[in-house]
Amino acid sequence: MTVAGDTRIHSARLRAGQFVFLMLLCTPAANLAHAGEKATGSARTAYVTNQLGNSLSIVDLASGKQTDEISIGGKPAGIALSHDGARAYVAAPDGREVILVDTATKAVVARAAVGQGPLGIAVNPRTGIVYVADWYQHRLFALDPATLAIKATVETGQSPSGVAVTADGAIIFTADRDSNQLSIIDAATFKVTGTIPTGERPFGVTIDDTAGRIYTANVGSNSITVLDLKSRMRVRDVPVGLRPYAVARAGDRLFVTNQHDESLSVIDAVTLALVATIRVGGFPEGIEADPSGKAVWVACWDANTLEKVDVATLTVTVRVPVGNGPRAFGRFLH
Amino acid sequence: MVRMLAYFLVALAALLPAAANAHGPSRQKVVSKIEINAPADKVWAVIGNFQDMSWHPAVAKTEGTGGNDVGATRTLTLKSGGAINEKLTKYSAAERGMGYEITDVDVKVLPVTNYAAQINVSGTAEKTIVEWRAAFYRGFVNNDPPPELSDEAAVKAVTDIVQGGLGALKKKFEGG
Repeated sequence: MTVAGDTRIHSARLRAGQFVFLMLLCTPAANLAHAGEKATGSARTAYVTNQLGNSLSIVDLASGKQTDEISIGGKPAGIALSHDGARAYVAAPDGREVILVDTATKAVVARAAVGQGPLGIAVNPRTGIVYVADWYQHRLFALDPATLAIKATVETGQSPSGVAVTADGAIIFTADRDSNQLSIIDAATFKVTGTIPTGERPFGVTIDDTAGRIYTANVGSNSITVLDLKSRMRVRDVPVGLRPYAVARAGDRLFVTNQHDESLSVIDAVTLALVATIRVGGFPEGIEADPSGKAVWVACWDANTLEKVDVATLTVTVRVPVGNGPRAFGRFLH
Repeated sequence: MVRMLAYFLVALAALLPAAANAHGPSRQKVVSKIEINAPADKVWAVIGNFQDMSWHPAVAKTEGTGGNDVGATRTLTLKSGGAINEKLTKYSAAERGMGYEITDVDVKVLPVTNYAAQINVSGTAEKTIVEWRAAFYRGFVNNDPPPELSDEAAVKAVTDIVQGGLGALKKKFEGG
């Protein structure tokens, strides 16, 4: 118990001393040209963080094969990609670093010390700015997309985990795991504008632009919380399997990874009724829908696989061996 | 002032359920298999009883409730002192497998948090393969753990339990 206390003391001290520099992040959208350009077909490549393997697997989705495994270090977990797919950003909480990989040359081109436990990571689709949540010091950083220099910091709730950004780049949400809430952060001012309660221990957070909803996977209450994106109201909590990690929407279905059940809960995106439970590899974690809406890809931590689930048949159709302990926490398909 | 605040926060943290769920940055994994020259049914008959872990050399006593139903609990009293409380999360006699989690253990007894494991038995009338898979975080939930609560210490402690158990099983069935 006292060890958990240490974090709190530490963060309280910091709060007194550390002042958030208000940098107006009104970057005039250098990458705006890319907005809306994202392929509507299928994703070609997956970038999977292997936490125990200290690496990033690059998987060719058409052939279902790992083509490269890049050494990263620092127990990488979080992953985000630039809008054009040219850059992969990896968060390594043990190494306390963010690592930038050039996806064309498959080389690490930059690495930077960021906070005490960088984990959740996301890219603003308009500005390219990289957001990293610090699990131990309860903050969100905004990083320069090329240099990884910290441009701004904002305090969140306790142990922010998942990070998601709206398609227009205006709002950032963090799932504050140990505060049972989402923080709402204005991307332009980089200030918290509000919080929304969720189920217990929200970990992954996903924005569903089609439905205008937000989903959190609640590790503590074995549920997902469905929230309305516009009104910011909690719509409903839906029970799922044991220790859910993240949610993806594909077609008219929501897919939830249940870490301790080696399964996905499949939920009707409209009625929010449970449709099916699909057996996948052990400890399914990071999950993302293919842009076609026809499949989801799941990283299975215990099985050391990236698995493709067909949305129509609700079966696993491809199992790709990857590195040891894949987590792929974030957006990993392009 | 800072000191008083610190004491207050420690006291507050002790009251919060958050502490029980907190964990280090990297989940660890131990997977071990053993082949036993004995019928799989016989091996499962021993391992498959969640209420009796006397086959494990480190366990002095098993006390629990709920039999082999999901949700059943047991307390393992260890020969070295200390106890581990566990809950059955999965059970299939047909597939000869079970999953369980540690609900409470002092990190001085076993330096892990958020421990979940599965034991699966497969094989034939002559040969059995027992696979034990464990997933857990280290005993120290924050950065910069002391050596006895590090990732390495957690992996070593769990490896000792898993391999000690599998070795004893083989011996039990094969004799010698």
